[in-house]
Amino acid sequence: MIDLSFLPESLRRQLADVGQVDVLVGIPSYNNARTIGHVVRAVQGGLARHFPEQRALLVNSDGGSTDGTPDVVRQASIASFETILAAHPLRAVHRIVTPYHGIPGKGSALRTVFAAAAVTGAKACAVVDSDLRSITPEWIELLLEPVLVQGLDFIAPLYHRHKYDGTITNSIVYPLTRALYGARVRQPIGGDFGFSGRLAEHYLTHDVWSSDVARYGIDIWMTTTAITGGYKIGQSFLGAKIHDAKDPSVDLSAMLMQVTGAVLSLMGVHAARWREVRASHPVPVFGFEYAVGLEPVPVNLARMLERFRTGARELGEIWQHTLHPATAREIAAVAAASDEEFAFPPALWVRTMYDFAVAHQHGRLNREHLLRSLTPLYLGRTAAFVVQTRESGAEEVEQILEELCLQFEREKPYLLERWDETGGGR
Amino acid sequence: MTATFTERLIGSLNAFFETVLHFLPGLLAAILILLLGLLVGWVLKTLVSRLLRVARFDRACDSNGITQVLDRADIRTPPSTLVGKGLFWLVFASFAMAGLSALHVGFVNQLIAEFFFYLPRVLSALLVLLVGFLLANFLSRAALLSAVNAGLPSPRLIALVVKLLILVLSFAMALEQLRIATSIVLAAFIIAFGAVMFGLALAFGLGGREVAKRALERQLDTRNDEAADGFSHL
Repeated sequence: MIDLSFLPESLRRQLADVGQVDVLVGIPSYNNARTIGHVVRAVQGGLARHFPEQRALLVNSDGGSTDGTPDVVRQASIASFETILAAHPLRAVHRIVTPYHGIPGKGSALRTVFAAAAVTGAKACAVVDSDLRSITPEWIELLLEPVLVQGLDFIAPLYHRHKYDGTITNSIVYPLTRALYGARVRQPIGGDFGFSGRLAEHYLTHDVWSSDVARYGIDIWMTTTAITGGYKIGQSFLGAKIHDAKDPSVDLSAMLMQVTGAVLSLMGVHAARWREVRASHPVPVFGFEYAVGLEPVPVNLARMLERFRTGARELGEIWQHTLHPATAREIAAVAAASDEEFAFPPALWVRTMYDFAVAHQHGRLNREHLLRSLTPLYLGRTAAFVVQTRESGAEEVEQILEELCLQFEREKPYLLERWDETGGGR
Repeated sequence: MTATFTERLIGSLNAFFETVLHFLPGLLAAILILLLGLLVGWVLKTLVSRLLRVARFDRACDSNGITQVLDRADIRTPPSTLVGKGLFWLVFASFAMAGLSALHVGFVNQLIAEFFFYLPRVLSALLVLLVGFLLANFLSRAALLSAVNAGLPSPRLIALVVKLLILVLSFAMALEQLRIATSIVLAAFIIAFGAVMFGLALAFGLGGREVAKRALERQLDTRNDEAADGFSHL
């Protein structure tokens, strides 16, 4: 039974006025006035061009923006449909701008979108971030069409990104999710997803809306829930992902703690499921893949190495509660190596991550402290990756990441052994 | 004269026997209460130690640094056993006081009243010390991690200062609970705390002016570097 009592009365009335729809696009936002207009226009164009005969609804779920974001959403419109369409759209896109209720975060915003989908009986839904600069009308087709026409339940995004872009995804979230649950979803926390109405309803049956999922773990939660729920999943190639510059006050350590914490918490929830998974399988890809020109990314390698070595020097006492003694010794040896010989082998990184997963589940250390102590290690691994791929092209880098993923899969018996040894799985 | 002596002797002996007879039931009751205290204390000690072991109290102490502190003091007993033993002695001491009161001796009764009046203060002082110790460990670890991740110089020193400040504060609060020379403790604490802060400010501002300058410059450079660093980690 789905509980929709959290929906405000005003939103219920608006949804009742709209009635049944076929497709729904949700845009969570918080102070995105600079970029959301472009996103709304792209969505509007995508719906008009690719779903002209479907009843469509756009829901902006806002977290109390003070920069006029809701006004931008209300006013944004394509000046002339002739620029993108051969004919004028048959149906107007309904638009609802609503504040969400619940604890602040993208999860609460998406809960409102799921509820709107359930109330309006939407068959296919998509959510896109409000800070996107590279979104085009085709994104809407690529996220909705596999659900509406092919009958899939969950579509994850597939982007072309610079080799140094999304390093947390590449070195932790993707390989870990793939090794645990067996599905090769390349961008599990991409932020832009397509999903079926029935999956939206399934999301609403979970009671996670007062937890960290509602704050910052919604992306990985949606992906993991879709995989573990046995839903039909796919990926759509969307091209390049360029978004507004992030708030510089959000530091790496906090970001890493939030993302990794969400993955590891889900690992505890789905332990029975991932224990049985022995290998990974590819996930169908939709869309036409093409090469994308990407801006070069400046890297401060010296600072990364310095932070890693400082961590190795100062955090030994904390790591001793987390790492296997053999892993701790290897890390100490890595830290002692010169810049020229610096390397953080994939096998060592995998065992480090598995040790952290066990420690996170086992609860010997305060979880926030545990995850914050991962930052220097992550920087060490990232520095090694930069050194290794300095001269590599996109394909070669992808091959290196594939090798890392396989290493995560090969070392899974080590995880199981440690998980059981310390009582994490019982 | 003989009669008087005999009468006096018999009288004294009677009085002695009367006193003994009057005292004996109390003594017996005191011994029984002591034995009961031993039994209740032992049962509670065993029960609490086992419960704490099941609740992984030893591991929690290990991760909170309590075991390490005990190790340094050459106390190798597991914390769960230690708490059990502490509880045993507390229960036994309480029963012992109750047993002594059964003797109906004036000054002992007064002592017991003072003991039970003071006991809550001892317990709250112990609690203050324990909370202070846990808080000091937690916050010093948080400070260490923040300093390492922010690339600040001497992260361990920062963590140590945080820990010492909280420990000194909790120690002063515990002494205040025990009403031990409260005014002296308060004055000493204010003077010591102020002196430490003033000393740190002077050391940082004068002695370590160059270090402070370099640290601030490095922080600003770091911010610039971070702005220039194009890494998008997610």
